[in-house]
Amino acid sequence: MSSLVSARDVSKSFGDVHAVDHVSFEIEKGKIMGLIGPNGAGKTTLLKALLGLTDCDGELSVLGLDPFRQRKQLMQNICFIADVAVLPRWIRVYQLLDFVESIHPNFSRQRADDLLGKTKIMRQSKVRQLSKGMVTQLHLAIIMAVDAKLLVLDEPTLGLDILFRKEFYSNLLSDYFDGERTILITTHQVEEIENLLTDIMFIDDGRILLNTTMDSLHDTFAQIVTSGDNAAEAKGLAPIYEAEMFGKTVMMFEGADRDRLRALGDLSTPSVADLFVAKVKGARA
Amino acid sequence: MIGHQLALLKREFWEHRSIWLTPAVIGVVICLLTVTGQVSVSAFGEAVDLAILGASNIDPVQRRIVLMALFGVVTTIFAIGAGIVVIFYSLDTLYAERKDKSILFWRSMPVTDAETVISKLLIALLVIPLAFVVGAMITEIVVMILMSIWIAMQGGNAGHLVWGSAPLVDIWLASLFMAIAIPIWLSPFIGWFLFVSAYTKRSPMLMAFLPLLVVPMLEKLILKSNLLYDAIITRTSQPPIADAEGWEVFENYENMQITEESVSLLASLDMIGFATSPSVWAGIVVCGLFTTAAIYVRRYRDESY
Repeated sequence: MSSLVSARDVSKSFGDVHAVDHVSFEIEKGKIMGLIGPNGAGKTTLLKALLGLTDCDGELSVLGLDPFRQRKQLMQNICFIADVAVLPRWIRVYQLLDFVESIHPNFSRQRADDLLGKTKIMRQSKVRQLSKGMVTQLHLAIIMAVDAKLLVLDEPTLGLDILFRKEFYSNLLSDYFDGERTILITTHQVEEIENLLTDIMFIDDGRILLNTTMDSLHDTFAQIVTSGDNAAEAKGLAPIYEAEMFGKTVMMFEGADRDRLRALGDLSTPSVADLFVAKVKGARA
Repeated sequence: MIGHQLALLKREFWEHRSIWLTPAVIGVVICLLTVTGQVSVSAFGEAVDLAILGASNIDPVQRRIVLMALFGVVTTIFAIGAGIVVIFYSLDTLYAERKDKSILFWRSMPVTDAETVISKLLIALLVIPLAFVVGAMITEIVVMILMSIWIAMQGGNAGHLVWGSAPLVDIWLASLFMAIAIPIWLSPFIGWFLFVSAYTKRSPMLMAFLPLLVVPMLEKLILKSNLLYDAIITRTSQPPIADAEGWEVFENYENMQITEESVSLLASLDMIGFATSPSVWAGIVVCGLFTTAAIYVRRYRDESY
Protein backbone atom coordinates (compact mmCIF):
# COMPACT_ATOMS: atom_id res chain seq x y z
CA MET A 1 0.00 0.00 0.00
CA SER A 2 1.51 3.29 -1.04
CA SER A 3 -1.14 5.58 0.48
CA LEU A 4 0.48 8.10 2.73
CA VAL A 5 -2.77 9.65 3.78
CA SER A 6 -5.99 7.74 4.03
CA ALA A 7 -9.23 9.38 5.09
CA ARG A 8 -12.47 7.44 5.36
CA ASP A 9 -15.69 9.20 6.26
CA VAL A 10 -13.88 11.96 8.13
CA SER A 11 -16.09 14.65 9.72
CA LYS A 12 -15.59 17.58 12.02
CA SER A 13 -18.37 19.83 13.27
CA PHE A 14 -18.37 23.00 15.28
CA GLY A 15 -21.86 23.08 16.75
CA ASP A 16 -24.21 22.99 13.76
CA VAL A 17 -21.52 23.84 11.24
CA HIS A 18 -20.08 20.86 9.40
CA ALA A 19 -16.59 22.12 8.62
CA VAL A 20 -15.65 18.74 7.17
CA ASP A 21 -18.56 16.58 6.10
CA HIS A 22 -17.95 12.84 5.59
CA VAL A 23 -14.88 13.16 3.43
CA SER A 24 -12.94 10.20 2.01
CA PHE A 25 -9.75 10.33 -0.04
CA GLU A 26 -6.25 8.92 -0.36
CA ILE A 27 -2.98 10.63 -1.10
CA GLU A 28 -0.27 8.42 -2.53
CA LYS A 29 3.44 8.68 -2.04
CA GLY A 30 5.32 10.93 -4.45
CA LYS A 31 2.35 13.16 -5.29
CA ILE A 32 2.03 16.91 -5.13
CA MET A 33 -1.59 17.40 -4.19
CA GLY A 34 -3.26 20.79 -4.41
CA LEU A 35 -6.16 21.30 -2.03
CA ILE A 36 -8.28 24.12 -3.39
CA GLY A 37 -11.33 25.66 -1.78
CA PRO A 38 -12.90 29.04 -1.02
CA ASN A 39 -12.61 30.63 2.41
CA GLY A 40 -14.53 28.67 4.99
CA ALA A 41 -14.66 25.56 2.81
CA GLY A 42 -13.10 23.37 5.48
CA LYS A 43 -9.56 23.25 4.05
CA THR A 44 -7.89 24.42 7.21
CA THR A 45 -9.95 22.14 9.43
CA LEU A 46 -9.07 19.20 7.22
CA LEU A 47 -5.36 20.08 7.33
CA LYS A 48 -5.53 20.50 11.09
CA ALA A 49 -7.02 17.02 11.39
CA LEU A 50 -4.27 15.63 9.14
CA LEU A 51 -1.61 17.28 11.29
CA GLY A 52 -3.07 16.03 14.55
CA LEU A 53 -3.92 19.54 15.70
CA THR A 54 -7.58 18.71 16.09
CA ASP A 55 -9.67 15.66 16.80
CA CYS A 56 -12.18 14.40 14.20
CA ASP A 57 -14.71 11.66 13.57
CA GLY A 58 -14.15 8.89 11.07
CA GLU A 59 -10.99 7.03 10.16
CA LEU A 60 -7.94 9.07 9.44
CA SER A 61 -4.47 7.67 9.00
CA VAL A 62 -1.34 9.61 8.05
CA LEU A 63 1.85 7.60 7.50
CA GLY A 64 -0.01 4.77 9.19
CA LEU A 65 -0.48 6.82 12.37
CA ASP A 66 -3.50 8.33 14.08
CA PRO A 67 -2.54 12.01 13.79
CA PHE A 68 -4.29 13.28 16.91
CA ARG A 69 -3.18 10.51 19.21
CA GLN A 70 0.32 10.01 17.78
CA ARG A 71 1.21 13.60 16.90
CA LYS A 72 4.73 13.38 18.30
CA GLN A 73 5.70 10.39 16.15
CA LEU A 74 3.91 11.90 13.18
CA MET A 75 5.82 15.17 13.45
CA GLN A 76 9.09 13.33 13.06
CA ASN A 77 8.08 12.64 9.48
CA ILE A 78 5.83 15.56 8.64
CA CYS A 79 6.67 19.19 8.18
CA PHE A 80 4.22 21.99 7.83
CA ILE A 81 4.11 25.70 7.23
CA ALA A 82 0.76 27.00 8.37
CA ASP A 83 1.20 30.67 7.72
CA VAL A 84 4.25 32.87 7.35
CA ALA A 85 3.69 34.50 10.73
CA VAL A 86 4.10 31.33 12.69
CA LEU A 87 7.78 31.46 13.68
CA PRO A 88 8.21 32.95 17.17
CA ARG A 89 9.24 36.57 16.71
CA TRP A 90 11.53 36.80 19.75
CA ILE A 91 13.84 33.98 18.77
CA ARG A 92 17.23 34.42 17.10
CA VAL A 93 18.00 32.47 13.94
CA TYR A 94 20.80 30.43 15.53
CA GLN A 95 18.59 29.62 18.55
CA LEU A 96 15.89 28.35 16.25
CA LEU A 97 18.37 26.11 14.44
CA ASP A 98 19.81 24.87 17.77
CA PHE A 99 16.35 24.06 19.04
CA VAL A 100 15.20 22.14 15.97
CA GLU A 101 18.51 20.30 15.85
CA SER A 102 18.15 19.06 19.42
CA ILE A 103 14.46 18.21 19.10
CA HIS A 104 14.09 16.78 15.60
CA PRO A 105 15.67 13.40 14.85
CA ASN A 106 15.48 13.92 11.08
CA PHE A 107 16.91 17.44 10.93
CA SER A 108 20.20 18.12 9.15
CA ARG A 109 21.92 21.23 10.50
CA GLN A 110 24.39 21.10 7.62
CA ARG A 111 21.62 21.24 5.07
CA ALA A 112 19.85 24.11 6.86
CA ASP A 113 23.14 26.03 6.98
CA ASP A 114 23.70 25.41 3.26
CA LEU A 115 20.21 26.63 2.41
CA LEU A 116 20.52 29.72 4.62
CA GLY A 117 23.91 30.42 3.08
CA LYS A 118 22.09 31.26 -0.13
CA THR A 119 20.06 33.96 1.63
CA LYS A 120 20.88 37.23 3.37
CA ILE A 121 19.61 35.93 6.73
CA MET A 122 22.06 36.52 9.60
CA ARG A 123 22.36 33.91 12.36
CA GLN A 124 22.27 36.59 15.09
CA SER A 125 19.11 38.29 13.80
CA LYS A 126 15.85 37.96 15.63
CA VAL A 127 12.91 36.72 13.59
CA ARG A 128 11.13 40.06 14.21
CA GLN A 129 14.00 41.86 12.45
CA LEU A 130 13.55 39.84 9.25
CA SER A 131 11.29 40.82 6.38
CA LYS A 132 8.25 38.69 5.72
CA GLY A 133 9.95 37.09 2.75
CA MET A 134 13.04 36.27 4.79
CA VAL A 135 10.92 34.67 7.51
CA THR A 136 9.43 32.38 4.89
CA GLN A 137 12.90 31.61 3.52
CA LEU A 138 14.03 30.74 7.04
CA HIS A 139 11.04 28.55 7.72
CA LEU A 140 11.41 26.82 4.38
CA ALA A 141 15.14 26.24 4.98
CA ILE A 142 14.32 24.57 8.30
CA ILE A 143 11.61 22.46 6.76
CA MET A 144 13.69 21.42 3.78
CA ALA A 145 16.49 20.37 6.11
CA VAL A 146 14.12 17.87 7.72
CA ASP A 147 14.02 14.56 5.96
CA ALA A 148 10.23 14.37 6.08
CA LYS A 149 7.94 12.07 4.16
CA LEU A 150 5.08 14.55 3.93
CA LEU A 151 5.19 18.30 3.63
CA VAL A 152 2.02 20.30 4.27
CA LEU A 153 1.90 23.89 3.08
CA ASP A 154 -1.12 26.00 4.03
CA GLU A 155 -1.09 29.26 2.10
CA PRO A 156 2.71 29.32 2.29
CA THR A 157 3.16 32.44 0.18
CA LEU A 158 0.38 34.61 1.58
CA GLY A 159 1.44 38.24 1.63
CA LEU A 160 4.71 37.71 -0.22
CA ASP A 161 5.68 39.62 -3.33
CA ILE A 162 5.84 37.93 -6.70
CA LEU A 163 9.63 37.47 -6.70
CA PHE A 164 9.59 35.60 -3.41
CA ARG A 165 6.62 33.52 -4.49
CA LYS A 166 8.33 32.35 -7.68
CA GLU A 167 11.53 31.64 -5.81
CA PHE A 168 9.66 29.76 -3.10
CA TYR A 169 8.08 27.34 -5.53
CA SER A 170 11.19 26.87 -7.64
CA ASN A 171 13.21 26.09 -4.48
CA LEU A 172 10.52 23.69 -3.40
CA LEU A 173 10.73 21.79 -6.65
CA SER A 174 14.48 21.85 -7.16
CA ASP A 175 15.66 21.36 -3.57
CA TYR A 176 12.93 19.35 -1.97
CA PHE A 177 10.77 17.33 -4.25
CA ASP A 178 12.46 14.14 -5.39
CA GLY A 179 9.57 11.85 -6.22
CA GLU A 180 9.98 10.09 -2.88
CA ARG A 181 8.40 12.84 -0.88
CA THR A 182 4.83 13.96 -0.89
CA ILE A 183 3.52 17.50 -0.72
CA LEU A 184 0.05 18.74 0.18
CA ILE A 185 -0.49 22.38 -0.60
CA THR A 186 -3.34 24.86 -0.30
CA THR A 187 -3.44 28.30 -1.82
CA HIS A 188 -5.75 30.87 -3.29
CA GLN A 189 -3.26 31.65 -6.02
CA VAL A 190 -4.08 28.50 -7.98
CA GLU A 191 -2.49 29.66 -11.19
CA GLU A 192 0.93 29.83 -9.54
CA ILE A 193 0.98 26.20 -8.51
CA GLU A 194 -1.06 24.70 -11.33
CA ASN A 195 2.05 23.56 -13.18
CA LEU A 196 3.70 21.81 -10.30
CA LEU A 197 0.74 19.76 -9.10
CA THR A 198 0.31 16.09 -9.94
CA ASP A 199 -3.09 15.83 -8.28
CA ILE A 200 -5.86 18.17 -7.35
CA MET A 201 -8.74 18.17 -4.91
CA PHE A 202 -11.55 20.73 -4.71
CA ILE A 203 -13.38 21.21 -1.46
CA ASP A 204 -16.41 23.36 -0.68
CA ASP A 205 -18.83 23.34 2.21
CA GLY A 206 -16.88 20.55 3.85
CA ARG A 207 -17.32 18.23 0.90
CA ILE A 208 -15.00 17.08 -1.88
CA LEU A 209 -16.19 18.28 -5.28
CA LEU A 210 -13.37 16.86 -7.33
CA ASN A 211 -10.41 14.60 -6.69
CA THR A 212 -8.35 13.71 -9.71
CA THR A 213 -4.92 13.73 -11.30
CA MET A 214 -3.79 16.70 -13.37
CA ASP A 215 -3.28 14.36 -16.35
CA SER A 216 -6.85 13.18 -16.31
CA LEU A 217 -8.07 16.75 -16.04
CA HIS A 218 -7.21 17.22 -19.69
CA ASP A 219 -9.14 14.09 -20.69
CA THR A 220 -12.16 14.78 -18.55
CA PHE A 221 -12.76 18.50 -18.84
CA ALA A 222 -13.10 20.67 -21.88
CA GLN A 223 -14.09 24.26 -22.48
CA ILE A 224 -15.36 25.88 -25.63
CA VAL A 225 -15.95 29.46 -26.64
CA THR A 226 -18.85 29.64 -29.03
CA SER A 227 -21.89 31.64 -30.12
CA GLY A 228 -25.19 31.47 -32.01
CA ASP A 229 -26.52 28.13 -33.22
CA ASN A 230 -23.40 26.32 -32.11
CA ALA A 231 -23.99 27.61 -28.62
CA ALA A 232 -27.53 26.27 -28.64
CA GLU A 233 -26.30 22.90 -29.82
CA ALA A 234 -23.52 22.83 -27.28
CA LYS A 235 -26.04 23.55 -24.57
CA GLY A 236 -27.73 20.26 -25.46
CA LEU A 237 -24.53 18.46 -24.39
CA ALA A 238 -25.16 19.38 -20.77
CA PRO A 239 -22.37 21.83 -19.89
CA ILE A 240 -21.48 21.93 -16.21
CA TYR A 241 -21.02 25.67 -16.40
CA GLU A 242 -21.64 28.50 -18.81
CA ALA A 243 -20.93 32.20 -18.84
CA GLU A 244 -21.29 35.10 -21.26
CA MET A 245 -18.11 36.88 -22.19
CA PHE A 246 -17.70 39.63 -24.83
CA GLY A 247 -20.86 38.51 -26.56
CA LYS A 248 -19.70 34.93 -26.72
CA THR A 249 -20.63 31.95 -24.58
CA VAL A 250 -18.05 30.03 -22.61
CA MET A 251 -19.12 26.51 -21.68
CA MET A 252 -17.42 23.82 -19.71
CA PHE A 253 -18.03 20.11 -20.08
CA GLU A 254 -17.20 17.07 -18.06
CA GLY A 255 -16.61 13.80 -19.88
CA ALA A 256 -17.88 15.13 -23.21
CA ASP A 257 -16.59 14.01 -26.62
CA ARG A 258 -13.79 16.46 -27.46
CA ASP A 259 -14.09 15.97 -31.25
CA ARG A 260 -17.73 16.88 -31.15
CA LEU A 261 -17.00 19.99 -29.08
CA ARG A 262 -14.18 21.02 -31.40
CA ALA A 263 -16.73 21.28 -34.21
CA LEU A 264 -18.84 23.68 -32.14
CA GLY A 265 -16.25 26.29 -31.10
CA ASP A 266 -12.73 27.06 -29.88
CA LEU A 267 -11.79 24.08 -27.76
CA SER A 268 -9.36 24.20 -24.85
CA THR A 269 -8.70 22.57 -21.49
CA PRO A 270 -9.98 24.85 -18.75
CA SER A 271 -7.53 26.32 -16.26
CA VAL A 272 -7.74 25.01 -12.72
CA ALA A 273 -9.07 28.37 -11.58
CA ASP A 274 -11.88 28.34 -14.15
CA LEU A 275 -12.66 24.74 -13.43
CA PHE A 276 -12.81 25.52 -9.74
CA VAL A 277 -15.30 28.33 -10.29
CA ALA A 278 -17.41 26.04 -12.48
CA LYS A 279 -17.43 23.20 -9.96
CA VAL A 280 -18.19 25.37 -6.97
CA LYS A 281 -20.98 27.29 -8.71
CA GLY A 282 -22.33 24.05 -10.15
CA ALA A 283 -22.40 22.42 -6.75
CA ARG A 284 -24.05 25.39 -5.09
CA ALA A 285 -26.68 25.83 -7.83
CA MET B 1 13.24 12.40 26.62
CA ILE B 2 15.72 14.17 28.90
CA GLY B 3 17.44 15.67 25.86
CA HIS B 4 14.07 17.04 24.75
CA GLN B 5 13.41 18.46 28.20
CA LEU B 6 16.79 20.22 28.26
CA ALA B 7 16.17 21.73 24.82
CA LEU B 8 12.73 22.91 25.97
CA LEU B 9 14.15 24.44 29.16
CA LYS B 10 16.87 26.20 27.16
CA ARG B 11 14.18 27.58 24.90
CA GLU B 12 12.40 29.09 27.93
CA PHE B 13 15.65 30.77 28.97
CA TRP B 14 15.94 32.37 25.54
CA GLU B 15 12.37 33.59 25.55
CA HIS B 16 12.10 34.70 29.18
CA ARG B 17 15.32 36.50 29.89
CA SER B 18 13.85 37.80 33.16
CA ILE B 19 14.64 34.35 34.62
CA TRP B 20 18.33 35.24 34.89
CA LEU B 21 18.26 38.98 34.25
CA THR B 22 16.12 39.82 37.31
CA PRO B 23 18.34 38.09 39.90
CA ALA B 24 21.38 39.66 38.23
CA VAL B 25 19.86 43.15 38.50
CA ILE B 26 18.76 42.60 42.12
CA GLY B 27 22.27 41.38 43.00
CA VAL B 28 23.96 44.37 41.40
CA VAL B 29 21.61 46.81 43.17
CA ILE B 30 22.21 45.20 46.59
CA CYS B 31 25.98 45.30 46.04
CA LEU B 32 25.82 48.97 45.05
CA LEU B 33 23.72 49.79 48.12
CA THR B 34 26.28 47.97 50.26
CA VAL B 35 29.05 50.12 48.80
CA THR B 36 27.11 53.28 49.62
CA GLY B 37 26.32 51.96 53.10
CA GLN B 38 22.57 51.75 52.76
CA VAL B 39 22.26 48.07 53.44
CA SER B 40 21.84 47.75 57.16
CA VAL B 41 19.69 45.83 59.54
CA SER B 42 17.97 46.80 62.68
CA ALA B 43 18.85 44.70 65.68
CA PHE B 44 19.37 45.13 69.38
CA GLY B 45 17.46 48.35 69.30
CA GLU B 46 19.86 50.16 66.99
CA ALA B 47 20.66 50.28 63.34
CA VAL B 48 23.50 47.93 62.70
CA ASP B 49 25.29 48.71 59.49
CA LEU B 50 28.76 47.96 58.30
CA ALA B 51 30.26 50.62 60.51
CA ILE B 52 28.70 49.29 63.66
CA LEU B 53 29.40 45.67 62.78
CA GLY B 54 33.03 46.33 62.10
CA ALA B 55 33.73 48.70 64.94
CA SER B 56 31.41 47.66 67.73
CA ASN B 57 32.16 45.27 70.46
CA ILE B 58 29.00 43.17 70.14
CA ASP B 59 29.56 39.58 71.20
CA PRO B 60 29.96 36.68 68.73
CA VAL B 61 26.41 35.38 69.18
CA GLN B 62 24.94 38.80 68.51
CA ARG B 63 27.24 39.26 65.53
CA ARG B 64 26.12 35.95 64.15
CA ILE B 65 22.48 36.94 64.52
CA VAL B 66 23.17 40.31 62.90
CA LEU B 67 24.87 38.72 59.91
CA MET B 68 22.16 36.11 59.62
CA ALA B 69 19.51 38.83 59.72
CA LEU B 70 21.39 40.83 57.08
CA PHE B 71 21.60 37.82 54.78
CA GLY B 72 18.03 36.94 55.67
CA VAL B 73 17.00 40.32 54.27
CA VAL B 74 19.07 39.76 51.12
CA THR B 75 17.52 36.31 50.64
CA THR B 76 14.02 37.70 51.25
CA ILE B 77 14.50 40.38 48.58
CA PHE B 78 15.51 37.64 46.12
CA ALA B 79 12.56 35.49 47.21
CA ILE B 80 10.10 38.32 46.56
CA GLY B 81 11.74 38.88 43.16
CA ALA B 82 11.45 35.17 42.38
CA GLY B 83 7.77 35.19 43.35
CA ILE B 84 7.02 38.08 41.01
CA VAL B 85 8.93 36.48 38.12
CA VAL B 86 7.19 33.13 38.68
CA ILE B 87 3.74 34.79 38.61
CA PHE B 88 4.46 36.73 35.43
CA TYR B 89 6.17 33.79 33.77
CA SER B 90 3.51 31.20 34.48
CA LEU B 91 0.69 33.52 33.44
CA ASP B 92 2.41 34.55 30.22
CA THR B 93 4.03 31.41 28.92
CA LEU B 94 1.09 29.48 27.45
CA TYR B 95 -0.80 32.68 26.58
CA ALA B 96 1.96 34.41 24.61
CA GLU B 97 2.55 31.45 22.31
CA ARG B 98 -1.12 31.50 21.33
CA LYS B 99 -1.23 35.25 20.96
CA ASP B 100 1.70 35.39 18.52
CA LYS B 101 0.58 32.13 16.89
CA SER B 102 4.00 30.58 17.42
CA ILE B 103 2.17 27.68 19.08
CA LEU B 104 1.68 26.39 15.54
CA PHE B 105 5.41 26.22 15.01
CA TRP B 106 6.06 24.62 18.38
CA ARG B 107 3.36 22.07 17.69
CA SER B 108 4.89 21.27 14.30
CA MET B 109 7.88 19.86 16.18
CA PRO B 110 7.94 16.27 17.42
CA VAL B 111 7.26 17.23 21.04
CA THR B 112 4.12 16.30 22.97
CA ASP B 113 1.96 18.90 24.68
CA ALA B 114 2.70 17.21 27.99
CA GLU B 115 6.47 17.59 27.47
CA THR B 116 6.04 21.27 26.66
CA VAL B 117 3.74 22.12 29.57
CA ILE B 118 5.90 20.13 32.00
CA SER B 119 8.97 22.07 30.86
CA LYS B 120 7.11 25.28 31.71
CA LEU B 121 6.04 23.91 35.10
CA LEU B 122 9.67 22.96 35.84
CA ILE B 123 10.80 26.49 35.00
CA ALA B 124 8.26 28.03 37.40
CA LEU B 125 8.61 25.47 40.16
CA LEU B 126 12.32 24.77 40.13
CA VAL B 127 14.46 26.73 37.70
CA ILE B 128 13.39 30.28 38.62
CA PRO B 129 13.66 29.69 42.41
CA LEU B 130 17.09 28.05 41.98
CA ALA B 131 18.31 30.86 39.70
CA PHE B 132 17.35 33.33 42.42
CA VAL B 133 19.05 31.27 45.16
CA VAL B 134 22.25 31.21 43.12
CA GLY B 135 21.85 34.97 42.65
CA ALA B 136 21.44 35.42 46.41
CA MET B 137 24.51 33.28 47.15
CA ILE B 138 26.72 35.24 44.75
CA THR B 139 25.36 38.53 46.14
CA GLU B 140 26.09 37.45 49.72
CA ILE B 141 29.68 36.57 48.83
CA VAL B 142 30.15 39.94 47.11
CA VAL B 143 28.58 41.77 50.07
CA MET B 144 30.96 39.94 52.42
CA ILE B 145 33.93 40.88 50.27
CA LEU B 146 32.79 44.52 50.30
CA MET B 147 32.38 44.40 54.08
CA SER B 148 35.83 42.86 54.46
CA ILE B 149 37.40 45.59 52.38
CA TRP B 150 35.63 48.24 54.48
CA ILE B 151 36.62 46.64 57.78
CA ALA B 152 40.20 46.15 56.61
CA MET B 153 40.31 49.82 55.68
CA GLN B 154 39.26 50.65 59.26
CA GLY B 155 42.03 48.42 60.52
CA GLY B 156 39.66 45.65 61.65
CA ASN B 157 40.08 41.91 61.28
CA ALA B 158 37.61 40.97 58.55
CA GLY B 159 38.54 37.30 58.72
CA HIS B 160 37.31 37.16 62.29
CA LEU B 161 34.50 39.74 62.21
CA VAL B 162 32.86 38.69 58.97
CA TRP B 163 34.05 35.36 57.58
CA GLY B 164 34.41 33.75 60.97
CA SER B 165 30.98 34.92 62.09
CA ALA B 166 28.83 34.42 59.01
CA PRO B 167 27.10 31.05 59.06
CA LEU B 168 27.21 30.80 55.26
CA VAL B 169 26.67 27.05 54.88
CA ASP B 170 23.79 27.18 57.32
CA ILE B 171 22.14 30.06 55.49
CA TRP B 172 22.70 28.54 52.07
CA LEU B 173 21.35 25.12 52.94
CA ALA B 174 18.34 26.80 54.55
CA SER B 175 17.80 29.01 51.47
CA LEU B 176 18.08 26.00 49.19
CA PHE B 177 15.52 24.09 51.20
CA MET B 178 13.14 27.05 51.19
CA ALA B 179 13.68 27.61 47.45
CA ILE B 180 12.48 24.07 46.87
CA ALA B 181 9.85 23.83 49.61
CA ILE B 182 8.02 27.14 49.22
CA PRO B 183 7.35 26.79 45.47
CA ILE B 184 6.09 23.25 46.13
CA TRP B 185 3.88 24.60 48.91
CA LEU B 186 2.54 27.30 46.57
CA SER B 187 2.39 24.95 43.56
CA PRO B 188 -1.45 24.91 43.44
CA PHE B 189 -1.22 28.57 42.44
CA ILE B 190 1.48 27.85 39.84
CA GLY B 191 -0.69 25.09 38.37
CA TRP B 192 -3.69 27.42 38.37
CA PHE B 193 -1.68 30.16 36.63
CA LEU B 194 -0.49 27.75 33.93
CA PHE B 195 -4.05 26.59 33.39
CA VAL B 196 -5.34 30.17 33.09
CA SER B 197 -2.46 30.98 30.75
CA ALA B 198 -3.43 28.05 28.50
CA TYR B 199 -7.14 28.75 28.72
CA THR B 200 -7.86 32.45 28.76
CA LYS B 201 -8.51 34.48 25.65
CA ARG B 202 -7.47 37.77 27.21
CA SER B 203 -5.78 39.31 30.20
CA PRO B 204 -4.40 36.28 32.06
CA MET B 205 -3.48 38.38 35.11
CA LEU B 206 -7.08 39.47 35.66
CA MET B 207 -8.49 36.05 34.86
CA ALA B 208 -6.13 34.42 37.35
CA PHE B 209 -6.64 36.75 40.30
CA LEU B 210 -10.28 37.71 39.93
CA PRO B 211 -11.63 34.22 40.70
CA LEU B 212 -9.36 34.06 43.76
CA LEU B 213 -11.26 37.10 45.07
CA VAL B 214 -14.73 36.53 43.68
CA VAL B 215 -15.22 32.81 44.29
CA PRO B 216 -14.56 33.01 48.07
CA MET B 217 -17.01 35.95 48.20
CA LEU B 218 -19.65 33.92 46.40
CA GLU B 219 -19.00 31.02 48.74
CA LYS B 220 -19.59 33.33 51.69
CA LEU B 221 -22.76 34.76 50.19
CA ILE B 222 -24.32 31.55 48.93
CA LEU B 223 -22.99 28.78 51.13
CA LYS B 224 -22.26 30.95 54.18
CA SER B 225 -18.89 29.24 54.53
CA ASN B 226 -15.26 30.32 54.33
CA LEU B 227 -13.55 27.14 53.17
CA LEU B 228 -11.92 28.56 50.05
CA TYR B 229 -10.99 31.82 51.74
CA ASP B 230 -9.35 29.94 54.60
CA ALA B 231 -7.57 27.60 52.20
CA ILE B 232 -6.14 30.52 50.22
CA ILE B 233 -5.04 32.39 53.35
CA THR B 234 -3.44 29.31 54.89
CA ARG B 235 -1.75 28.44 51.64
CA THR B 236 -0.31 31.91 51.13
CA SER B 237 0.72 32.63 54.72
CA GLN B 238 1.62 29.46 56.56
CA PRO B 239 3.99 27.09 54.82
CA PRO B 240 4.61 24.13 57.18
CA ILE B 241 8.38 24.53 57.21
CA ALA B 242 9.17 26.06 60.60
CA ASP B 243 10.55 23.99 63.45
CA ALA B 244 9.06 25.47 66.62
CA GLU B 245 12.07 24.81 68.84
CA GLY B 246 14.66 26.00 66.34
CA TRP B 247 12.65 29.10 65.58
CA GLU B 248 12.35 30.15 69.21
CA VAL B 249 15.98 31.23 69.20
CA PHE B 250 15.05 34.08 66.88
CA GLU B 251 11.81 35.00 68.63
CA ASN B 252 12.99 34.84 72.22
CA TYR B 253 16.75 35.21 72.22
CA GLU B 254 16.77 37.72 75.02
CA ASN B 255 15.41 35.24 77.56
CA MET B 256 17.39 32.24 76.39
CA GLN B 257 20.85 30.93 76.95
CA ILE B 258 22.02 30.75 73.37
CA THR B 259 25.33 29.68 72.01
CA GLU B 260 26.78 30.49 68.60
CA GLU B 261 25.82 27.02 67.34
CA SER B 262 22.19 27.37 68.32
CA VAL B 263 21.81 30.38 66.01
CA SER B 264 20.92 28.29 63.00
CA LEU B 265 18.44 29.03 60.26
CA LEU B 266 18.63 25.40 59.20
CA ALA B 267 17.66 24.25 62.68
CA SER B 268 14.61 26.48 62.52
CA LEU B 269 13.30 24.51 59.52
CA ASP B 270 11.46 21.24 59.75
CA MET B 271 12.26 19.35 56.54
CA ILE B 272 10.82 16.01 57.54
CA GLY B 273 7.69 17.66 58.86
CA PHE B 274 7.33 19.42 55.50
CA ALA B 275 7.90 16.31 53.42
CA THR B 276 5.37 14.32 55.44
CA SER B 277 2.73 17.05 55.71
CA PRO B 278 -0.57 15.93 54.14
CA SER B 279 -1.38 19.48 53.08
CA VAL B 280 1.90 19.66 51.10
CA TRP B 281 0.94 16.53 49.20
CA ALA B 282 -2.62 17.73 48.73
CA GLY B 283 -1.16 20.88 47.16
CA ILE B 284 0.99 18.80 44.81
CA VAL B 285 -2.11 16.89 43.71
CA VAL B 286 -3.99 20.15 43.03
CA CYS B 287 -1.02 21.44 41.03
CA GLY B 288 -0.97 18.17 39.07
CA LEU B 289 -4.66 18.49 38.26
CA PHE B 290 -4.32 22.05 37.00
CA THR B 291 -1.22 21.13 34.97
CA THR B 292 -3.06 18.20 33.41
CA ALA B 293 -5.92 20.55 32.56
CA ALA B 294 -3.43 22.96 30.95
CA ILE B 295 -2.00 20.11 28.84
CA TYR B 296 -5.49 19.11 27.69
CA VAL B 297 -6.46 22.67 26.83
CA ARG B 298 -3.28 23.11 24.78
CA ARG B 299 -3.92 19.80 23.06
CA TYR B 300 -7.63 20.09 22.32
CA ARG B 301 -8.05 23.78 21.62
CA ASP B 302 -7.66 24.68 17.97
CA GLU B 303 -9.22 28.11 17.64
CA SER B 304 -5.76 29.67 17.51
CA TYR B 305 -5.31 28.31 14.00
